[in-house]
Amino acid sequence: MKLYRSLIYRELMLTRKRFILMLILFLLLALLMMTPLILVFIFKPVEGEESPLEMIPLFVGIVALTGGFMAGTNNGLQKADISSGWKRYSFVLPPTAKQQALSDLLTKLCYILFFGLLSWAFEFVYTAAADYSNFGIMLYIYMLNIYLGAVCAVMLVDIAYSYIMMYAKDKNQLKLISVLAFVGAGFVFRVFGLFPGMNKAGKPAEDDAMISEEAVNKFETILCSGKTTLCILAVFVVLCVLFFLAMWRSHERREP
Amino acid sequence: MNDYENAVEIKGVTKKYDGFTLDNISFDIPKGCIMGFIGQNGAGKTTTIRSLLHITDINDGEIKLLGLDHIKDENAIKKRIAVVFDELPFHDVFNAKDMAKIFEGMYPEWDNDEYMKYIERFQLPQKKKIGQFSKGMKMKLQIACALSHNAELLVMDEATTGLDPVVRDEILHIFMEYLQNGERSILMSSHITSDLEKIADMVTFIDKGKILLTGYKDEIIEQHGILKCGKDKLKEIDTEDIVSIRTNNFGAEVMVTNRESASCKYRDCVIDPASLDDLMLYYVHRDVKEWS
Repeated sequence: MKLYRSLIYRELMLTRKRFILMLILFLLLALLMMTPLILVFIFKPVEGEESPLEMIPLFVGIVALTGGFMAGTNNGLQKADISSGWKRYSFVLPPTAKQQALSDLLTKLCYILFFGLLSWAFEFVYTAAADYSNFGIMLYIYMLNIYLGAVCAVMLVDIAYSYIMMYAKDKNQLKLISVLAFVGAGFVFRVFGLFPGMNKAGKPAEDDAMISEEAVNKFETILCSGKTTLCILAVFVVLCVLFFLAMWRSHERREP
Repeated sequence: MNDYENAVEIKGVTKKYDGFTLDNISFDIPKGCIMGFIGQNGAGKTTTIRSLLHITDINDGEIKLLGLDHIKDENAIKKRIAVVFDELPFHDVFNAKDMAKIFEGMYPEWDNDEYMKYIERFQLPQKKKIGQFSKGMKMKLQIACALSHNAELLVMDEATTGLDPVVRDEILHIFMEYLQNGERSILMSSHITSDLEKIADMVTFIDKGKILLTGYKDEIIEQHGILKCGKDKLKEIDTEDIVSIRTNNFGAEVMVTNRESASCKYRDCVIDPASLDDLMLYYVHRDVKEWS
C-alpha cells in the first residue's frame, strides 16, 4: 500500500498543473452552461422550446462530454518520464512493471472518478436549481453514458498512443506511426460506414437540418438506456485492462 | 542475505549494437571493494553498466549482482542496490522533500533521518525546486537518495563528471565513509582517473568494448612502468614487453607490462611508475604501437 501511495503521489504531483488547467476549463464551461438558467430566474421566464430549462439535457451532455474527455485524456507522463530520464531510472527502482502499470491505472481512475463526480454535481445543481424533473433518473443514466462514452473514446486513443510511443525508435518514426494510425482510424470509420444502416449520406434530413429528428430521437433513446450503460461499462472495463496491459508492457520494455 | 563473495560477477557478456559490440567481457567486484571502471568516451562503460542493471538486454553472458541473477532475481536485487547517473533523473518540479516521500514507499529500508542528514550535510534546500538546483546540488541530491536506503552495492555512471574539484572531493569522502562497514561495494565508472586513484581498490579498463585490464589498482600500477630511452634503443626492447611507444623530439617513452623484469633487462634505461592516466593513454594506442 505504501508503495502505491508513493507511486500515485508522484504521478499526481507531476500531473497537477495539467489537472488544474483542465479543472479551470471545466468549471468555466460548466458555469457558462449555468448562465441561461440563472437568467431565467432574473428575467421573465421563457416558455416552450425556447426555454433554457428545455436545454438542460444538452447542458448536462456537454458538461459530461467535456469531463469525460478531460478525465480520460493522456496525461503526458510517459513523455515527461522519458525526457527527464526517470523512465531509465525506473528500471533500477524496486517497483515492478506490473506495480507501476497498476499505479498508472489507479491515477487515471482517480481523475475519472473526480471528473465524474464533478459532472454529476453540476447535473444535480442544474436540475435542482431549475426544479427540472422531466427525465428523472433517466437524466443521470444519460449523463453517465455520455461521460463514460467520452472516457472510453479518449482512453482508446491514449492506449493507441502508448503503443506508438513504445514502438517508435525516434521522433520521426513517432510522427510516421501517428500519421499511419490516423489514416488507419479514418479507414476503419469509412469501412464501418459501408455497413447497411450506417451510411445515411443518401438520405437527407428534413428541413435542411444537419441531423433528422428521427435520428435525434433514436440517439436519445440509446443514450437514456440502461442497456447502453451496461455495454459502455463493459467496454470501459475492457479498456482499463488494455490500458493496464499497455502500461505494463511499456514499463517492462527495455532499452535497445 | 549477505552470503556472497563478489558483489558483481560479469562473465562473458556480449551486447551487440550497430557499429559497436561489447565483446565477451568478464570481471568481478569482491564484496567491500571500490571498483574504478575506466575507459575513454564510447569505450563501453555505460553499456556495461546498463547491461548489469538490466536497463538493456544482453545478447550473451551471465551477470550476478550480490550473488543473484540480474534478471531472475531482479526484484530482490533492486531493493539492495543504488544507482547514480551522470544526469539527475528526477523531474524538475519536485523538491528534496518530495523525493523522500516518493522513495520511502519504494524502498523497504528507506531511512528518512539518514536522508535528512545528507540533505543538511550537503546544504541542500528542502523546499527549492530541483529545476533551480546547480549541477553540483543535483548530483548531491542524487547521491543522498542513493545512500539513504542501506544499499549494499552502489553503481555510479560518470557521477563525478562535470563537478568542481571541491564537490568531487567531498563526494569521494562520503563514499569512503559509506564503505567503512566492509559489507558495501561500489562500481564507479569515470574517465577522471585522479578520482579513482584516490579511492579505488580495483580498476577495470575497457576499450572498444573489450576489457584490457582488471585487478587491484596498486598491483596494476606497480606492474606497469614507463621506460625512457633514446629512439635508437627501441630496437633492443622486446616487443612482448611493450604496450605502446610514445615518441618525442628527445627520444621515446615505452610502457612496459612488467616493470620489475624490464628494470633487469634494460639496466641502462630509466623506468618511472605509471599512473592510471598513463595506462589509459598507452593502452588506447596499443594497436598503432608508436604514437606521439
